[in-house]
Amino acid sequence: MGNFIGKSVKRREDARFLKGAGKYTDDIKLPKMTQVAFVRSPYAHAKILNVDTSAARNANGVVAIYTADDGCGQYGVPCGWQVNFKNGETMREPMHPLLAKDKIRHLGEAVAIVIAESLELARDAAELVEVDYEELPAVTNPRDAMEDGAPLVHDQWTDNAAFDWCIGNDRAEVEAALEAAHHVTEMEFRNQRLAPNAIEPRSYIADYDVNADKWTLYTSTQNPHLIRLLLCAFALGIPEHKVRVVSHDVGGGFGSKIYHYTEEALVTWASKEIGRPVKWTSDRSEAFLTDAHGRDHVVTSKMGFDKEGKIVAHLTDEYCGLGAYLSTFAPAVPTYLHGTLFQGVYTTPLIHLNVTAPFTHTVPVDAYRGAGRPEATYLLERMLSKAAAEMNLDQAEIRFKNFIPPFDGIEQPGYQTQVALQYDSGNYEETLKRGLEMLGYEDFRKEQEEARKNGKLLGVGISTYIEGCGIAPSAVVGALGARAGLYEVGHVRVQPTGKVSVFTGTHSHGQGHETVFAQFVADKLGIDMDDVEILHGDTEQVAFGMGTYGSRSLAVGGSAIIKSVEKVLEKGAKIAAHKLEAAEEDLEYAEGKWTVKGTDKSVSFGDVSLTAYVPHDYPEGLEPGLDFSSFYDPANFTYPFGTHIAVVEVCSDTGRVDLKRFIACDDVGNVMNPMIVDGQIHGGVVQGIGQALLEEVVFDEDGQMINASYMDYAMPRADDLPMIETDRTTTPCPHNPLGVKGAGEAGAIGSTPAVVNAVVDAVAHLGVKDIQMPLTPQRVWKAIQN
Amino acid sequence: MKVSGSHTLNTTPVSFWNMVMDPEILEKITPGVKELKEKGEDTYHAISEVKVGPVKGEFKGELSIKDKVENHSCVLVVDQKSKMGNVVAEIQMNLEPLPEGNTQINYTGTAKMSGVLARMGQRIMSGVVSTLSKQFFQAMETHIKEQQQTES
Repeated sequence: MGNFIGKSVKRREDARFLKGAGKYTDDIKLPKMTQVAFVRSPYAHAKILNVDTSAARNANGVVAIYTADDGCGQYGVPCGWQVNFKNGETMREPMHPLLAKDKIRHLGEAVAIVIAESLELARDAAELVEVDYEELPAVTNPRDAMEDGAPLVHDQWTDNAAFDWCIGNDRAEVEAALEAAHHVTEMEFRNQRLAPNAIEPRSYIADYDVNADKWTLYTSTQNPHLIRLLLCAFALGIPEHKVRVVSHDVGGGFGSKIYHYTEEALVTWASKEIGRPVKWTSDRSEAFLTDAHGRDHVVTSKMGFDKEGKIVAHLTDEYCGLGAYLSTFAPAVPTYLHGTLFQGVYTTPLIHLNVTAPFTHTVPVDAYRGAGRPEATYLLERMLSKAAAEMNLDQAEIRFKNFIPPFDGIEQPGYQTQVALQYDSGNYEETLKRGLEMLGYEDFRKEQEEARKNGKLLGVGISTYIEGCGIAPSAVVGALGARAGLYEVGHVRVQPTGKVSVFTGTHSHGQGHETVFAQFVADKLGIDMDDVEILHGDTEQVAFGMGTYGSRSLAVGGSAIIKSVEKVLEKGAKIAAHKLEAAEEDLEYAEGKWTVKGTDKSVSFGDVSLTAYVPHDYPEGLEPGLDFSSFYDPANFTYPFGTHIAVVEVCSDTGRVDLKRFIACDDVGNVMNPMIVDGQIHGGVVQGIGQALLEEVVFDEDGQMINASYMDYAMPRADDLPMIETDRTTTPCPHNPLGVKGAGEAGAIGSTPAVVNAVVDAVAHLGVKDIQMPLTPQRVWKAIQN
Repeated sequence: MKVSGSHTLNTTPVSFWNMVMDPEILEKITPGVKELKEKGEDTYHAISEVKVGPVKGEFKGELSIKDKVENHSCVLVVDQKSKMGNVVAEIQMNLEPLPEGNTQINYTGTAKMSGVLARMGQRIMSGVVSTLSKQFFQAMETHIKEQQQTES
């Protein structure tokens, strides 16, 4: 441990955030900037009979109005991943147009873009655009979308499937094992659709400079380079070096700001058309309707056990909704990021998952905090607790019976799962033991029994999760059939005075990279944190990058930076050896200086860096400068894991769930900044609790989203939550230099089933076996009554 | 959204029927109606201004009456557009004669909404509808009283 690694250093970025001085895209005001309002469909599925923009064009302050009949009508945004049908048929990939032409396929789909001198004038003019629709029947539930006669989202195909997919062992073999099992637990449920709800809505400004023939796109994105690549190479077909993408502060993403959205491409196109900057910022209603949603799986599952409670086989069939078009990552979420986690932390010998992924008349579904892994974890963890109840086993006991034994990935090899992946290192039983100690499990069970006698409904729920993070090793995902691998770039520029600028291709939108990355760079270089600056979010500052999602920034981006730091020290040693007139191998580096071993002869990092840029007295044949960029492609995913335990009290009269305690004992590998890891866990846990108890996107039968506002969409609030109790075990990742695994999504993955298990445990003695999420008072009350 | 209710009026089914089939009276008693123009047989072009709590705005569109069984029943079809979204409703109306020359009006049907109305308004729309129907019947009662006074 150095001076900074492992310390709860306060976040540098908070100084500006707490003062309201963050620089978000909507804060940017450019000279001659125009503003956008979209004309959006009030229907989920409709024919567009006519679009009349004549009145709007004459409205005060209107600069331009475009529909699909204009030049932008030929463009669409791409999907980044391809999952073909099991029979080899190519994935059905419809054009995702920038503006709807002839047909509306989801509520809120844009029909026209209105550009005016101000936002108010743009909105007033947008109201004057007359669109004649013929409403058509819509389908929003993924299982219904695959029924015979379901309304088609895309008429060119005979059904709504975009692809189907399976992973694991041979289905017949799994079925036979279930047939022979001592006990089979079954579940049927919906992992409900969620809205991402980043506090900063999406915002884009495109600024075309006619003299330079060049665009600057300011965008609230999680991955500026990827946006530039998708925008240039796939959406608009413009040269990549003619576009600069800038993404300053971003107020939360949770996945929803990974994707390349139609609005982003459209403002870029329009800026050149009108020769002025074009800004669009989503309002909250538009965010509900047009930000990619998460989850939306309809699940049927069976798990077989032997007499002792050991899992013998697991078979699951799922319908996973994709929405009307394929968003950037969409096909990867219910497949590579989902099915590959079906092993969980258990020794299940036979696993088969079958996924049918249909289009529906809804906004696209894509990654949302955890992306596929919360869905897998919810299934496994509910299944284990349900099985325990049915087999008269304890929730903890059934897990201890099934855990994969500890392995460190060095002495003991990684664990090969039945679903393609090899886990790096793990000690699963340890986090459960620790979590049970934190709770005082034995005492709680007594308390619960006593409480029941007094009519009080107390329950405890356990979830022992694993997730795949640090996405994504090119070789592994390439073998799984992905179109890309997700390495990272880290660039370390030592300035002549020994101050260090670090450029990372990851993007911070709440994760605290400016602090954490500076911590380990300062420690590795033995210099002060104040001498290290972290820069990100500008494609003309940073060579390349893949952005931030999938808890990858430290494990992948941090490793790329470490590679460059090592190159700096390697070259620095050559310069130091020259200055000290010693052999390189006789030097040691510590506390920011090279010392000739066993002497007091030394040269500081600052002296070496100055020499590198003023090389009058310099090693022969060595280039000047101290500036290195590295690409790091991970050898494997990382696999954080942990135990989450919820304690609830259920009100028997109203069905209201009161969350009394929440315990999270996570293992995210080595920890750079415990405070930031705790913060990430807290945030994730709260989002997971939100799914368990409160949140759900609700469509009516016509495909109208009937809770598209904060009056109706229930988000967790402070008074819904207890203080979250965190602890950690540490099982380092064996294959990256920092030994880190990732912490961004763990909370959202582990917490949801823990809460639901606790509620079901509280009312299990009344005969309740399962309750569908979200566990609203009404649903819980009904379950108790039945 | 389901719409249903009933109301008793101090008038006979025949006189109620005549009032509802008279566009001038209908224009007068329907809450918020600014304009009601006959477009064809039993079809009207309607412009109305609705203001109930947070739901307010101008609605434009068609109003028509179909499946008429004189003095007994009919179906009211509403197709109204607004900046807040559109409303399409079909309401079956049955008249039941009561003693002493009174009439019970039973109505039931569905209303479909889109746009902001559906997203934000759905939760409060049943309240809005019940307020509007109350206003409708109150206005009709007032009209009936006025008529009775004129006659006497």
